[in-house]
Amino acid sequence: MAKRKTRRQQIVDLAVLAPLDWIDERTGAVRGTKWFLFRNVPRDVSWAQTLGFATLIAFLTQTLTGAILAMYYKPDPNSAYESIEHITNDLTLGWLVRGMHRWGASVFVILLFLHMGRVFLFGAYKYPRELQWITGVLLLATGMLMGFTGYLLPWDQTAYWATVVGINLNGTAPFAGPWLAQFLSSGPEIGGDTLAKWYALHMLLLPGAIFALIGVHLYLVTRLGVVSPPWSKEQAGRERPVAEPTGARAGLVRRGTEGGAK
Amino acid sequence: MSNPRHDTPHSSGPSLWPIGFAIGVACLLLGLVLSWMIAVLGAVLAIAFGLLWARDVTRDVRGDVPEIAPETRVVADELAPGAVPQHKPLPAYPRSKFLEASLIGLTGAMGAVLTLPVLGFMVLPSFTNIDEDEVDLGPLDNFPEGEYVIATYLKDPAQGEVTRRTAFVRNNGQSEAGDPSFTILYSRCVHLGCPVQPNGPIDEERRIELKNAALLPVLAQSFGCPCHGGLYDAEGNRTAGPPVRSLDRYTFSIRNGRLILGELFAVGSVSGTGANARISRYPWSTPGVHVDGVEAWLYPIVPSQVTG
Amino acid sequence: MARDRGEQNREWYATYKDDVKKEGKGFFPYAMLHDTIMGFVVVLVIIGLAIIWYWDADGVEPGVLGPLYTEPADPGTTDFVPRPDWYFYFLFYLLRIFEWPETVVIATVGIPTVLLILLLGLPFYDRSRERRPSRRPVAMIAAVLTVISMGVLTYKGATATEALGSELIVLVPEWAEEKGFADNDNAVEGARLFAVSGCLNCHIYLGSGVGALGAPDLSDVGDRYDQETLVRYLTNPAEFGNTVMGSYAYLGQENLNKLATFLDASTSDDG
Repeated sequence: MAKRKTRRQQIVDLAVLAPLDWIDERTGAVRGTKWFLFRNVPRDVSWAQTLGFATLIAFLTQTLTGAILAMYYKPDPNSAYESIEHITNDLTLGWLVRGMHRWGASVFVILLFLHMGRVFLFGAYKYPRELQWITGVLLLATGMLMGFTGYLLPWDQTAYWATVVGINLNGTAPFAGPWLAQFLSSGPEIGGDTLAKWYALHMLLLPGAIFALIGVHLYLVTRLGVVSPPWSKEQAGRERPVAEPTGARAGLVRRGTEGGAK
Repeated sequence: MSNPRHDTPHSSGPSLWPIGFAIGVACLLLGLVLSWMIAVLGAVLAIAFGLLWARDVTRDVRGDVPEIAPETRVVADELAPGAVPQHKPLPAYPRSKFLEASLIGLTGAMGAVLTLPVLGFMVLPSFTNIDEDEVDLGPLDNFPEGEYVIATYLKDPAQGEVTRRTAFVRNNGQSEAGDPSFTILYSRCVHLGCPVQPNGPIDEERRIELKNAALLPVLAQSFGCPCHGGLYDAEGNRTAGPPVRSLDRYTFSIRNGRLILGELFAVGSVSGTGANARISRYPWSTPGVHVDGVEAWLYPIVPSQVTG
Repeated sequence: MARDRGEQNREWYATYKDDVKKEGKGFFPYAMLHDTIMGFVVVLVIIGLAIIWYWDADGVEPGVLGPLYTEPADPGTTDFVPRPDWYFYFLFYLLRIFEWPETVVIATVGIPTVLLILLLGLPFYDRSRERRPSRRPVAMIAAVLTVISMGVLTYKGATATEALGSELIVLVPEWAEEKGFADNDNAVEGARLFAVSGCLNCHIYLGSGVGALGAPDLSDVGDRYDQETLVRYLTNPAEFGNTVMGSYAYLGQENLNKLATFLDASTSDDG
């Protein structure tokens, strides 16, 4: 125990461990990270169970590329289209970042559906993961809304008319529909204020909601754990064969109705 | 087995005042859009019921004991003969409970003061700040009798291209009363708002350019929607597909021999043609909203009925 | 004594926790490595799509992955055919299926709302503990049907075409080729008129069109009538006992002549 530390260990202590301890003592962040990382999952988890993480990566791609695109995009009906042309054709690497954002959206939506399909197939929405499923469905809905609000922003023909139809879809809802439609288009029809409103929804409100939901979703995953594939022979929580009593002659001991020792 | 000694006073039942308060707030919000009288009525209701509610929930704090008799019965054998049953002193309400009530009240007040104006600003301008401009489509000679003309114009030139709209204008000649008559159909499909196309050859050579508008004659007696298969006849009546009413129309006026577009209105159906058409007119509403028939019950009040 | 469902559930979950603790593997690094590999693939796919998209398209000219952008928004257009992004194709086609005014609200609001509620409520009406697909026939059949119907709706939505002038006019050279009237200017002119005048809202011509109201296929109409009769037919269909079709006299004599020339040239012997 009294053995002196090597020089290398001393450096590691000083440069890495000490600052981490300092932070952990004041925030608990290191313990939290350990709680997230150093937990066990069933040993038979399948590749299909990486879809959730893949969806997260797609969303983070969207966050990053979206934030950068916002530095060049102009949410005004008279200049939005030109700024999109400018980003795509003139600015260095603008085409790549815009392309990533555009296609990242499709990939994100596909992954949302695949992930949901996997959870359904595995029956992973059952006790105690009901709330995880609900946050997931809400994430799917907000994700689709992100796609819908983002589709208007290039302000080209497809964008404009898809949005007209989308708003009027909401407008047909009984009772409140026409009011909702008029709110969404900032007036009886799409006008000068509509684009900025949708930009704010797309950039601020919906991503905020998605971040909050992802936080809850991830916390629940970590707290409740992931399931084994339902067809796995060695799945966690499998039903065990009833233990035969030992140390007594067969036939003399009756099996308990509850099975095994309780 | 109930023990008579454990009988305690019933707590008072749930208060109904919040419901009145909610109705008041709803009236107030609705009134902001509809008319100031409803708003005032809503405000009075909200304040009155709010006060009653506040009075109700703070009754404990204020030391106002509910007038409900304790159900404690005297158990006969416990009383020594001649002993007078003792009255317990009224319970004292601790400071912590008062602070708790203040905290909830303050949070509510802060939330309301903060969010109501902000939510109001988010929602109300869509309904209150609407100005409809009139559009000048030039001299009447631009419109040959009995022919449709595609009129494309800026509704509000100051705002630019975002207000570009299209209408199909037909000069019907004189009506029976001797007034000039025009059929002016709005180009948005009344299913979900797609841009309707006239079925017929467009005469590019007879194109007329005006300030903020262009006129383009077309030989068409029917219209089709490119989205979900809606078809309309020359009067804008649905002939096929999902449209829920006839094509919207503009009112018009004639000033100094020029055709001026007025406001947009919804049309239930049209019988007759041209100058003799009988039009069932309704306040404008978003596409897909029924204006007549049983389905109209789904949309009892639409924004244009209150914002004009 | 039967244990209630909550107690059973808690017991099963305790076994699960126990198993994971004893037999499981670490999330870090084992499971997380798989996650990271998958995440990397996702990023590569996104970048790959962006590159292919940009490489093959040029402005409004579409490549394999569509155009970089379409024409600027024109709120007053009369020749644009709107289509949503691909993942709303199913809804788009659903709206076309409900082609009766009384049913519009079912497609726009009814079905999506019901689906969302069914989805949200899933863990509350499917409360058995069984997770094996083979033992959940109802759930699996429902899932397969959902996937198939979404797939079919998406496909139908992606391939839906209109019988409107803006889409049909590009077919005119094809028709001229097929019917051999390419060198007859009047016939080509007539074919254009035919394409934009809404004829195919009811009729069918070489596979295009709706085929509504009992209107015949006009691909070989030249076999049945000569040019002069066709002009008379178009001017007043009632004269030929046709009370469904309206008069096209409003197109003017010159246009009617061209239209009739085109129809006359549409014979079965291909020119």
